[in-house]
Amino acid sequence: MRIGDAKQSYEADEAILTSSTQKIWFALFLLALLLFPFMADAYLLYLSCLVGIAVISTTGLNILTGFTGLISLGQAGFMGVGGYTVAWLSANTELPFPVTLLLAGLLAAAVGILVGLPSLRVKGLYLAIATLAASVFLHFIFAEWESVTGGMGGLSLEPAHLFGLTFQSDFGMYFIIVPLAVLMVLAARNVFRTRIGRAFIAIRDRDISAEILGINLLHYKLMSFALSSFYAGVAGGLFAYFFRVVTPESFPLSMSIFYLAAVIVGGMGNLLGGILGAAFMTLIPEILKLLTTALTPFYPNAPIFMSPMLEIIFGGLIVGFLIFEPHGLAEIWHRIRRFFSLWPFKN
Amino acid sequence: MFKSILSKVRRFAGISTIAASLVAAAPAMAQDKDSIVFGGSIPLSGVFAFAGVHIHAGLTDYTSWINSEGGINGHPVKYVMEDTGYEVDRSVAAFKKITGSNTVPVYYGDSTGFMKTIASELNSRGTTLMSGASFATALTDNEQYPYQFVPGPNYSQMFGIILEYIATQGKDGEKPTVAFVYSDTEFGKDPIENGKAKAAEMGIEVVEEIVTKPGSVDVSAEILKLRRVRPDFVVFHGYVLSPINEFMVQMRQMGLDTQFMGTFWSSDKLIINKMGADADGYMGVMPYNYYDSAEGGPMLDALRATAEKSDPDAGYRPTGYMQGWFNAMVWTEVIKRTMDAGKELTAENMAESLASIKDWDTGGIIGIPVTVQDMSFPVGRIWRVNAKEARYEPVSDWIHLD
Amino acid sequence: MDWLFFGEISLAGLAMGGLYALIGLGFVIIYKATRVINFAIGEIMMFAAYLFLAFAGGMEMSPWVALPLAVLGGSVLGGVIEKVMIRPMLGESSISVVMVTIGIASILVGVVEMIWGADPQLLPGFLPRKPVFIGEMYLAPKIAYGFLIGAAMLIVYLLYFRFSRGGVALRATASDQAAAYSMGINVRRVFNLAWVFGSLAASLAGVLVAATGGLSPQFGAIGLSVLVVVIVGGLDSIVGALIAGVFIGWLETVAGAYLGGEYRMPATFAVLAVILVFRPYGLFGTHEIERV
Repeated sequence: MRIGDAKQSYEADEAILTSSTQKIWFALFLLALLLFPFMADAYLLYLSCLVGIAVISTTGLNILTGFTGLISLGQAGFMGVGGYTVAWLSANTELPFPVTLLLAGLLAAAVGILVGLPSLRVKGLYLAIATLAASVFLHFIFAEWESVTGGMGGLSLEPAHLFGLTFQSDFGMYFIIVPLAVLMVLAARNVFRTRIGRAFIAIRDRDISAEILGINLLHYKLMSFALSSFYAGVAGGLFAYFFRVVTPESFPLSMSIFYLAAVIVGGMGNLLGGILGAAFMTLIPEILKLLTTALTPFYPNAPIFMSPMLEIIFGGLIVGFLIFEPHGLAEIWHRIRRFFSLWPFKN
Repeated sequence: MFKSILSKVRRFAGISTIAASLVAAAPAMAQDKDSIVFGGSIPLSGVFAFAGVHIHAGLTDYTSWINSEGGINGHPVKYVMEDTGYEVDRSVAAFKKITGSNTVPVYYGDSTGFMKTIASELNSRGTTLMSGASFATALTDNEQYPYQFVPGPNYSQMFGIILEYIATQGKDGEKPTVAFVYSDTEFGKDPIENGKAKAAEMGIEVVEEIVTKPGSVDVSAEILKLRRVRPDFVVFHGYVLSPINEFMVQMRQMGLDTQFMGTFWSSDKLIINKMGADADGYMGVMPYNYYDSAEGGPMLDALRATAEKSDPDAGYRPTGYMQGWFNAMVWTEVIKRTMDAGKELTAENMAESLASIKDWDTGGIIGIPVTVQDMSFPVGRIWRVNAKEARYEPVSDWIHLD
Repeated sequence: MDWLFFGEISLAGLAMGGLYALIGLGFVIIYKATRVINFAIGEIMMFAAYLFLAFAGGMEMSPWVALPLAVLGGSVLGGVIEKVMIRPMLGESSISVVMVTIGIASILVGVVEMIWGADPQLLPGFLPRKPVFIGEMYLAPKIAYGFLIGAAMLIVYLLYFRFSRGGVALRATASDQAAAYSMGINVRRVFNLAWVFGSLAASLAGVLVAATGGLSPQFGAIGLSVLVVVIVGGLDSIVGALIAGVFIGWLETVAGAYLGGEYRMPATFAVLAVILVFRPYGLFGTHEIERV
């Protein structure tokens, strides 16, 4: 059993890792992330890269939806902006990947601000619809602006490169994606220790009250949009480097809904939740495939029900979590942790 | 409702039990040579499942047939697949999983999106030759996709074959007019530019071009446009069923005598089964003989016998089945040629063997000997629906583009 | 300019717009009473259309028996969804409720795919096939008769809400929930009824739309066009849904005919964007004033 620690200063209370136990676990976790690629096979490596990209995008959406209370159906569109930016830059310039990814994030953020502008006048669901409109327009641009986006056929990319190194394999990409994911989550964590992050939360809880408290609503809402789409843009850029091809069909509306679902299942307004949700939702199809494979000897038709089952599980998770566990996987995680830290005493 | 579930389960159960093939079909053989793996990302579920289950059956049955014939140069064949649900990221996952635990010289890709995505990895691995469900024109670009081929004519070549046919149908020495109707997708737009160029070259006027969303949409306004230009032929591409039916029914209601044509994935029995009598006269381009056609040949007979044996109740086997079988046939031929030349089974050597295929007799799967050009088999034939008999009948000779 | 052509296109668009109006009505009824934006409306339509397919195709019933049965099935589905999944969300933030409807949409797609498979389907033809001419203008028979059925339904609905007890209760709940409670209106029942009636309108439209355009598990995407309709018209305005429905249907068709199919969605969403910027609560919606 661990006893609660008394904090003696505000700095200690605000610290990201508040106890030595947490520090040890966090260090172990980082070590595991570092060693993982040397032990994993190609398949696991691929999945972990996918999870890494999803974590970045989900964290971005979490900032907007979970922390600021602005629902967005445009996440896939913003990722598309990032993806196309990287693809175009890698085809037309010699820029190394940190620069292209940064530009991808910035351009996506600019588009995010543009899309967020109606939030001056509309909010809640109307805003969600505005983001939906944005994703329709973005898709249209991706498909029709052929001289830049390659039209329906899309663009192919050269591998990411830096200082003469090229990152062609999943092994190489892992060392771009995962550290970036860790960094970006930590950055998000830090945002919520500042005035900006607290303003976001105040807006979520009641925007009019927040305004009365002296928070410039438009300013902070746009900032939240910008930050969120910056994350999406970087994730989209990584997506482009990872799959080495982007087409308008790479960023469908269902992808936006996927990220919303990841935020909800993980836990809205909780960064750990975003990570858990992204990992969980990305891995579900593979878990389900293992299950159906195990079932086939007894029930030969299992594979054909896999896709419909996925749809049902996907929707069921959204509905189930919202009704029964609105704080998501993060809450379950905390409960488990509390159980162990208080063991053998209850509560 | 229950009837439909039952019939569906029966239909799928019929197809040579999926279970059996997951454990793979490599019977104990006298030879102790290494087995050759056919890999596959197969869409057993999802939007492409209607074809995927039959592709799977075709690949499974071919594997058991080739093994009963003694394998490839004595090497037994093993077919290893994973379901993808027709999602690109899951297809890639399947590819990594299968190639991670097997040496896979040939692989079935389930979509154009997947095949483009995996191309860079395929090129850097240099171990695997890939073909699959896609007939995309882009894949026949040897620069970018040196290790991917198309198991028939690519979509542009299909348009070429269709236009060759249309050119012969003019009355009084005049070339017929044609309209292209295609979906607003990568698949739909694939052959349009090349199709227009080819038509211009042949002196066929393209009087209208119509883009629609795929699937369920109201197309009456588009049909009104076609009513103005009265094309002799309408060529559909990028659809499976809707809205082809709506165009045909409404244009005939208007009293137009337009003829309707489509490409590979919209030229199966699905059209006949769903549209009934309305499907009569619809024409498709098909590089393979239909399962129930009057044609024959040693390989086609073997295919029919194997299909019959693996599932006596299945009856007609769709074009997906023929496609799966033909893919595996080409792989076999390529591997054989490479081995006979005493070379290793690398992607480059196999691509070379593929390019060397000339006047190849497919034993009746394709009616005439075929020659590979730029990683495709530019051959096909126009078939017309006879709704009363519920089947396609040939209306042209085999057309081999050059 | 070819005015006859323009007339024919417009007519086809207006007829389609009539169906949009009907779906929009279903959407607005639900929103008005319960303040829930129903993203699953396209999927409820799809479900009803598949029921029709099962009754008229699989069980070989007469289409005129199958149609009411399918529509009834769709409205029962609406009622069940409200009871099981929407009611527990009472009082939660609107974002959460919207996400529940998105989840429901996904579940319905899976269920449909499980029962009927993912193959594209055609409904058995049940509308007359003789071409319809209005003056010189040709109108596809399916669309013409679909429009007539939809319009008849619309009129029944409007009369019902104007004059019946249930309609009055619904309007009362919509305008002031607390007052409705205190006047002895069973608000919970009204919520449920709103879902039933809303789904009923959508289901009828679903069968009619599927009869013209075909059916597949992706059918629910039509919900996007409907969203545009109700936002442009105003989420809580029945008149708005009717006018915007007809207008969006017309615009979509005209844009598709003159600019090409890839412009259908951007054209309507452009109107949506303009409306969002200049009249965020729609042409006829009520602007709510918020207080702390």
